[in-house]
Amino acid sequence: MKKPKIGIYGLTGCAGDQLNILNCEDELLKLFDIFEIKSFVMASSAADEEASLDVAFVEGSVSTEKDLEDLKEIRKKSKILVAMGHCAVFGGVQSMFVGEDWDKMYRKVYGKKRAVTLTKPLPPKPLAAYVKVDAVLPGCPIEKEPFLKLAGLLAKGVIPRHPDFPVCAECKWKENECLLLRGEMCMGPLTNSGCGAICPSLGIPCIGCWGPIEKENWEAEAFLLRERGFSVEDIVNRFAIFGGMERADKLRKFLEAKEE
Amino acid sequence: MRLFKLKRNNLFPFLRGLEGFGELWGPVRKGRKVVYARAKPEEFDLEALRTIIPAKKFFLPPRFTALKFRDNTWEDDYRPRRKVIFGLHPCEIHALNIYHRFYTRLFTDPYYERSKEATLIVGLSCVPDDHCFCYATGTSTVNEGFDLFLTDLGDRLLVWVGSPRGEESLKLVGKFLEDVEQKDISDYVAWRKRRDAAFKLKVDLDGMPEIVSFSYDSPVWEKMGRACLSCGTCTMVCPTCTCFDLEDEYDLKRAEMHRERFWYSCVFREYSMVAGGHNFREARSERLKLWYTHKLVGFMSEYGAPACVGCGRCVVSCPVGINVISVVRALRQERTTALWTKMEVKDA
Amino acid sequence: MHEILYHQDNPYMPERARIVRKYDLTGDVRFFQVRLCNPDKVFPVTSSYSPGQFMMISLPYVGEAPFSITSTPSRPGLFEFCIRKVGRLTSRLFQLEENDFLWLRGPFGNGFPVEKMIGKDLLFVAGGLGAAPLRSLLLYALDNRDLFGKLFYLHGARTPRDMLFREEFFQLKQRKDFRCYLTVDEDPEGDWPFDKGVVTSLFKYVKVNPRNTAAVVCGPPVMYKYVVQEFIKLGIPDANIYMTLERKMKCGMGKCGQCVVGHKYVCVDGPVFTLWDVKNVKGLI
Repeated sequence: MKKPKIGIYGLTGCAGDQLNILNCEDELLKLFDIFEIKSFVMASSAADEEASLDVAFVEGSVSTEKDLEDLKEIRKKSKILVAMGHCAVFGGVQSMFVGEDWDKMYRKVYGKKRAVTLTKPLPPKPLAAYVKVDAVLPGCPIEKEPFLKLAGLLAKGVIPRHPDFPVCAECKWKENECLLLRGEMCMGPLTNSGCGAICPSLGIPCIGCWGPIEKENWEAEAFLLRERGFSVEDIVNRFAIFGGMERADKLRKFLEAKEE
Repeated sequence: MRLFKLKRNNLFPFLRGLEGFGELWGPVRKGRKVVYARAKPEEFDLEALRTIIPAKKFFLPPRFTALKFRDNTWEDDYRPRRKVIFGLHPCEIHALNIYHRFYTRLFTDPYYERSKEATLIVGLSCVPDDHCFCYATGTSTVNEGFDLFLTDLGDRLLVWVGSPRGEESLKLVGKFLEDVEQKDISDYVAWRKRRDAAFKLKVDLDGMPEIVSFSYDSPVWEKMGRACLSCGTCTMVCPTCTCFDLEDEYDLKRAEMHRERFWYSCVFREYSMVAGGHNFREARSERLKLWYTHKLVGFMSEYGAPACVGCGRCVVSCPVGINVISVVRALRQERTTALWTKMEVKDA
Repeated sequence: MHEILYHQDNPYMPERARIVRKYDLTGDVRFFQVRLCNPDKVFPVTSSYSPGQFMMISLPYVGEAPFSITSTPSRPGLFEFCIRKVGRLTSRLFQLEENDFLWLRGPFGNGFPVEKMIGKDLLFVAGGLGAAPLRSLLLYALDNRDLFGKLFYLHGARTPRDMLFREEFFQLKQRKDFRCYLTVDEDPEGDWPFDKGVVTSLFKYVKVNPRNTAAVVCGPPVMYKYVVQEFIKLGIPDANIYMTLERKMKCGMGKCGQCVVGHKYVCVDGPVFTLWDVKNVKGLI
């Protein structure tokens, strides 16, 4: 069988997901053995951008026009596009207030004059806001094991599907005491599984870095946290970090309703 | 059933003796929580009531590799290690009996069967706390489903032998056992009276199948659905919940594909969703209704008893207080102060 | 103490089979004819089954899903399936060629109670992909024609192109010992020679003895209500009205729980239910 050709790319983000691929030290040779890597600029400057790809892994959010051009280019030459990491799947921390007056926010950070940038900035959005995404690998950053499993299935020509159930399940499998019951601000019930409940297993409440599950019950979570004595502002801030665009939008409405 | 007594100071040697069967596991306190763990007899918490996860984890672990696939061939190398599980209370053993009937009905689940074969169950009596309600579910005493059962009378323990395997284990530990006398029996009866008087949580389960069935369109479900976080905790901690999912995994560094089997939950959104996206239970309230209908009605018609053993795990585990007690009370239109009943949410 | 001996029979272990023949029935439904590689195998797969039963089709790396058997046990040796491409597993199935392997477990489910139907008139109503499980019972009845009374088969599809086994039914229509009526909702090409309209419009042709009739319906969920009303209008008793249902299933053996409705496990208590069951178990349809 011919080796599948892959490319690993980064848009706007911290490059932590690409770094975590490089951190798969023991498996890296296997990875390079199974796939023909056409582009992985973080690992090698010898990139072949002309080649068509079987699979493209893309991390980072679309935050500039250059990002958008690159993404469209990658999409065009790839059979399968994998959004990798929270930024690519949900928009990342940078997308938390995308729904607000973005120009105003931009001025607040960079001043009245447009900062000198190589390319025009855009409100940060996940890949799926612009192109079709075939598979997702959430996490901030991605974890080694889930990456190797995703890559394994892709090597077999199967498009992987990320499960959609909360991390609380994994947390219970590890026999952890529920942190919400202990009065902590835990985002577990809203957050997708896959990480193996690393933080709660160490007694640290989940901050939601694997992104929200679909149709999560954030109203109930907010109600519960209010009952536990947290302020609306604290709750909203915590929600917004990894909630992605959609939830940030819902939250703003929630805030407005509360203020009325 | 054969009955013996065991002097208190012989308990630890007795348990060590059982290690001749397999690894010794029992309730161990870790901070505020109790879990079943492999430990020395001295490390067991004899007063502990409920572990986070019930003993079902020994019979079908939360996640394990059911099948492996390589070169067009499937392999099943699931081989549980032999274990002695000590400290199972009557509710746990009742739950395992339900588990047993369920997993051997029509098709015997081979993974369950192997675990069962490899396990020696050693029960232990208990005194209820504020969340126990096994008295109401009729599961506060147990006559079958254990190999050995110990009732703690303070300076001595009574030992019931409940199975041929339990009988065989006496080869290992029979030397610690003595015959019972009239006084042991009268002390046991007195202990039972004290124990039965200690139940504080009262709940009336009479007629629940009918009440649940006739509450199919009750607004209670919708209210509950609004508050449910769909976290699945209730199903993971429930000793009679059996649902699971299968998923194929292929880790790049392995030679073979693994078909993983893991605990799943009827409260998860994708539980009743078929390919193409149609969801037979889109609403959270529908999924909760399934859970309670299955526990309180479904098992009644199938096995003649509800699938609740009164262990109280849901009572102490649900972050918003959706549990058998509060749901039964709400459906009976009795007063309940559970957190979920207080939630007022505007339409989002 | 003695070592534990495990017996090797594991009903979760899929059995290898080969695709003998495949062809497209409609734009997105494909017919698969499958033969077990080891025909003597009786566990966990057995080649004898009842009409209305289903099998789990397993593709390594993707998973398993239930599919109703569309062939008849009266023509043994082969399993046939009609599969619509809707998800990951079926997309993968559509990539397979003749002679490729797939894996099977089963058959599972209760199937139609054929023995109770003997001597009765049979009335079939199929809509869309619902023709798949009904074809099994229909062919069985035709192969054992003298066991049954009158035979009516009503089949509705959206357009002529969407009608499963179209040519097969055109042929069967020629038979004198059985009445087959076909209808389509729309006829965009204008060459449909038979009825037009919803499947319930075909009830005008039905002439059965209602107290001695077994009625069977399978189709999209919206169809059941209307068809069942027609059965009731004819006077067929609840216990003689059968329907076969679809649910998510992972094991097929009443264990994984994902098909549960009330206290019924669709995989072992179904997928065939009577109208009486449906009235008593809320949520079945």
